[in-house]
Amino acid sequence: MAIRHYWSMAAAAVGFRLVLVLFGGDLHLASRPEVSTPLTSIRRRSMYHGSPLLLSVLGPLTNKSLIFVAVDFIAAMLIRATGRKLQIARNRSLKSLDLTEAVSNSVNVSAGDIASLIYLWNPWAIVTCVGSCTSPVENLMVVIIIYGACSRLAPLAAFGYVMATHLSLYPAILIVPIILLLGYGPDTPPTKVFRLKNSNASKTDVSYDEKSSSSRDVRQFSWKPVLHFTLWLLFWSSYVLLLSSIILNKVGGLQEMFKKYFFAEVFDFFRSFFLIVFNMNIIFMVLPLAIRLKHRPCFLAFVYTGIVAMLKSYPSVGDSALYLGLLGLFANELAEMHFTFFLFFGYIGVSLLSPVMHNLWIWRGTGNANFYFATGLAYTCLQTVLVIESSILHLNSLNRGFLYWGLVGPGPSIPLPRYHY
Amino acid sequence: MASSATEEAKPKPRLIVRLGVFLASHHILFSAICCTAGVIALLFLPALAKNTYLSENALIPGSANTLFSTEDVLEANRFAKGIEAATGESRGGTEIPKFIAQQMKNLGAEVYYHEFLPDSKCFHPLKFFTSMTNNMAVKPNGTYTNFGINTIGIIRAPRGDGKEAIVLVTPYNSQRVQPNELLSLSLGFSVFSLLSRVAWLSKDIVWLSADSQFGEYTAVSAWLNQYHNPMFLSHPVTLATKMYGANRIIYKPDGTTEKAELMAFKRAGTVAAALIFKVGETRKYGDRDSVTMYAEASNGQMPNLDLLNVVHYLAVHRQGFRVNIETFSSLLTSSWLKVIAEVFHNIGTVLRKVNPDWKLDVTVPDYVEGTANLASSIYNQALGIPTGSHGAFRDYQVDAVSLEFGPAFHLRNENAKSSFLLRGGRLTEGVVISINNLLEKFHQSFFLYMLTAPSKFISVGVYMIPFALLLAPLPIVAAALAGSSKTKGKLLDECKTKGSADDLQIECGSWKWLKSARVLLVIQFWAVLVSLLPYYISQIPGAMPIQYAVIWAVLSIAILIILYAMFGSPFHAGVEWKLLKATMITTITLGMGLMSIINFATAQLGALILIPMCLFSRPLREQLEMTFLPRTILLVSSILLTLLGFPPVAFLIMNGLSKGSWTVDIVGDFWLWMEFLWEWSSATYLYVFLVHLPCWLLCIHVLLHPCHQPESKMKQE
Repeated sequence: MAIRHYWSMAAAAVGFRLVLVLFGGDLHLASRPEVSTPLTSIRRRSMYHGSPLLLSVLGPLTNKSLIFVAVDFIAAMLIRATGRKLQIARNRSLKSLDLTEAVSNSVNVSAGDIASLIYLWNPWAIVTCVGSCTSPVENLMVVIIIYGACSRLAPLAAFGYVMATHLSLYPAILIVPIILLLGYGPDTPPTKVFRLKNSNASKTDVSYDEKSSSSRDVRQFSWKPVLHFTLWLLFWSSYVLLLSSIILNKVGGLQEMFKKYFFAEVFDFFRSFFLIVFNMNIIFMVLPLAIRLKHRPCFLAFVYTGIVAMLKSYPSVGDSALYLGLLGLFANELAEMHFTFFLFFGYIGVSLLSPVMHNLWIWRGTGNANFYFATGLAYTCLQTVLVIESSILHLNSLNRGFLYWGLVGPGPSIPLPRYHY
Repeated sequence: MASSATEEAKPKPRLIVRLGVFLASHHILFSAICCTAGVIALLFLPALAKNTYLSENALIPGSANTLFSTEDVLEANRFAKGIEAATGESRGGTEIPKFIAQQMKNLGAEVYYHEFLPDSKCFHPLKFFTSMTNNMAVKPNGTYTNFGINTIGIIRAPRGDGKEAIVLVTPYNSQRVQPNELLSLSLGFSVFSLLSRVAWLSKDIVWLSADSQFGEYTAVSAWLNQYHNPMFLSHPVTLATKMYGANRIIYKPDGTTEKAELMAFKRAGTVAAALIFKVGETRKYGDRDSVTMYAEASNGQMPNLDLLNVVHYLAVHRQGFRVNIETFSSLLTSSWLKVIAEVFHNIGTVLRKVNPDWKLDVTVPDYVEGTANLASSIYNQALGIPTGSHGAFRDYQVDAVSLEFGPAFHLRNENAKSSFLLRGGRLTEGVVISINNLLEKFHQSFFLYMLTAPSKFISVGVYMIPFALLLAPLPIVAAALAGSSKTKGKLLDECKTKGSADDLQIECGSWKWLKSARVLLVIQFWAVLVSLLPYYISQIPGAMPIQYAVIWAVLSIAILIILYAMFGSPFHAGVEWKLLKATMITTITLGMGLMSIINFATAQLGALILIPMCLFSRPLREQLEMTFLPRTILLVSSILLTLLGFPPVAFLIMNGLSKGSWTVDIVGDFWLWMEFLWEWSSATYLYVFLVHLPCWLLCIHVLLHPCHQPESKMKQE
């Protein structure tokens, strides 16, 4: 079911961005530390720390924000397309379970539309777009990865992956959901469900042929697209390296770029310590989450981007804009989320509190860095609550879905995991 | 098996959850208790004030013998005679800077002039969030015949490295020098001449004789702006900005090199502290000379308390001045305050009998005086407008205080004047010695405090208790309202609702608040537009304030109607009033929390008005169904509080209470007051229009809510 006035709302969002780009010069968004971090800022070109490729593309342009408006729009459209793909995949898997009734019964809002509108109208996405920093491009690359993997376009996914890791390195962990998406497809009910269905069917004396036909529907992990992806990955990465080496020839070649990549993000002292603490936290969560959420690789990708936004060095609101946009893809599953009121106003409060604390620290001098840091903590807490709540609800909705569809009977033989907090 | 077992034996929720549920179920009682406690705690504040003490050991005020002697007094008199002679020759006001510059040059100081233009009225309430460097965006262009000239002298410290400086400021009107201004100039000069001779200086001394013909704040802030933001004007701009007469008067016709030297802007190091001193009019004869300290800077910022402590200690214990702070004199004689003081005194004595350590039994006069001072302190901080030119320093994180000497003698009385100059000079010198001792910026003592007497203060830890008590029930009430509407909602749409696509999300369970959030967003958007309107309205030339205000009001109402036509009126949207109220209360919590960080005093005063108003708000239609007594009480109080909460009415009452006079022209005065706030870029303006006004409008929506809607919906289904 599509959303009424979708296109007019999307156009209004783009128009609003354009108005801000053209007339919002007094807002000085590019100088806000929440919007453009040292890693994403292109305002200070003498101290640009981002990708050399991006600089050579964006550098000659006078009004860079116009490009970012286009980039944001493309990202939103890709999110919408991803939502469509997910829905089709879901309906197909329901059909393969002979649940056509469930398909027609379930009132599905078009999640892709919602997600893309959330992305377009998210004030943070707007602010990052207008504040001329490279986060919209990074976000676009991540969205390209997810879209490419969902629609099983290995070259596109590989391109997105290479570019995203080239731009900021953190999306590297998205390799797990990509492989799952390419291998299993966007929506794969666990094999347990098929086995159950078969056992249910055998109770009601269904012939052997039907059983075997439905068990054939159980999707196996297919290695072909993954191999495809790997080949394209190699191709794109060598291409990007080549381009970078050509561009960086003047300033010391590729070695400079790698030095910058691994060491520009932390202080001089305790460099290794910080590297481990910052990045291990993210890496620790990759495997357990992959095991638990392997049936929903897209949701896994959302959780990863959320965790990266929480734990990365130099976080900015652009990262949050990305995962909030992806969150919209699961609007149907998350309709009964807890604490939504609290989270909504919490996000508003934190985004207002941050400039006030910054003012208190930098301009008035009556506060200190801890005031600003406390806002960051509150922000991270909110993100944690959001990610945990949505994961719990997603897992519960999966289980409840099976219960509703009559696959997991309330019989005594199957303990049904419920998640409490 | 296992699952059914866990389903039956549901685990007991955690203590904190149970506590929250308990509070939410008794939220009316809880909020009544908290609000009453908050108001009582606010009234208790004068009794909780502590004596000030010096935190920074390096200051050691009064440890050194002051060198300021009768010689310097003679110097001052000579200087005053010189100025009188100079102004006697030619009227016009540019002789004084010339004379001062000559005198300073004779002392061996570096001298220069600083020319500045008067501030034009402009609308910049949002300057709060931007940096100071943006001030430089305003480039002067055109020709000006009217400009001010500051004369600045710098003494390089013999023992310093030139990295820090102390600024002394004496404002005077160069167009017409009053005898008291002459006295303050000569006081400034005598201190400066003494400091040019001493050997112990480790920080440079800057003496700014500020030309206050456009107000002293303008002069000081223009100088500070250029001190901190070097201006690199392009050549055409410099040419275009001609200050007529400057060449004729200040510079000698032949001396071009000297001109360049006198116009070159010179700097000393980081400003460690600044002292603004001026001699006021003689108010009453006979009593001791007094010093009034002004400390409130923009948005309720205060200088470090140690600076005030040093001044107070030296003035009272060394030089025998009487130190005052600003006060609401109308409160000093009010009888109801005396009654409250009696009550608190009695409570205090009882408490003291219970525990002798609780020293809460302030005497009645002390309480009344403390309350009057505290009220003035809160009022000045809440306005967010600096009380003097020290405010300009605070914008650059420099601690500064204004001292207004109140002589108790006639200014022609030479003997009394000499004695006054001697003590005033010693006080200034003593403060300079103390600041000179500092090794770091002022940081030891409080920045967030309110004064109840020159030597008594209430620190942030104490004065936030009443505010916290007022704010505490809000999250509980919001949770209770949202929770109750959720349980009701579950009963309603237990069955699957099928609606249009975007309604579906809103109908089901936990996303129901989205509708009320939409109402809130529309109203906030309206509030932003209303707060920006004056920028355009004030462009209309030559209208009376009342006309401006009426245009403003009409446009605001028109915009509201248009927005409702575009996005749907909340009355037809079918928003449950409980959710609307929960949203309103959450907004207030956020707004008040933010405002308490930006300007605590504004948040405190706003909380007193806004929080009872929104807690009392219930739909009138629902109130009518109650029994007589609670109905009347609720009706009267909610209508009265809503009326009080309307910004112009609130302004009228504040104004009446602070000045003791009740004006008739509320509308015009409200416009003038708002103009005043945005010109000074006070955050209070933002508070009034982005927090107070939307909450008031939401409150009106709750009051007028047609609350029969859910039932009719149920019938339909």
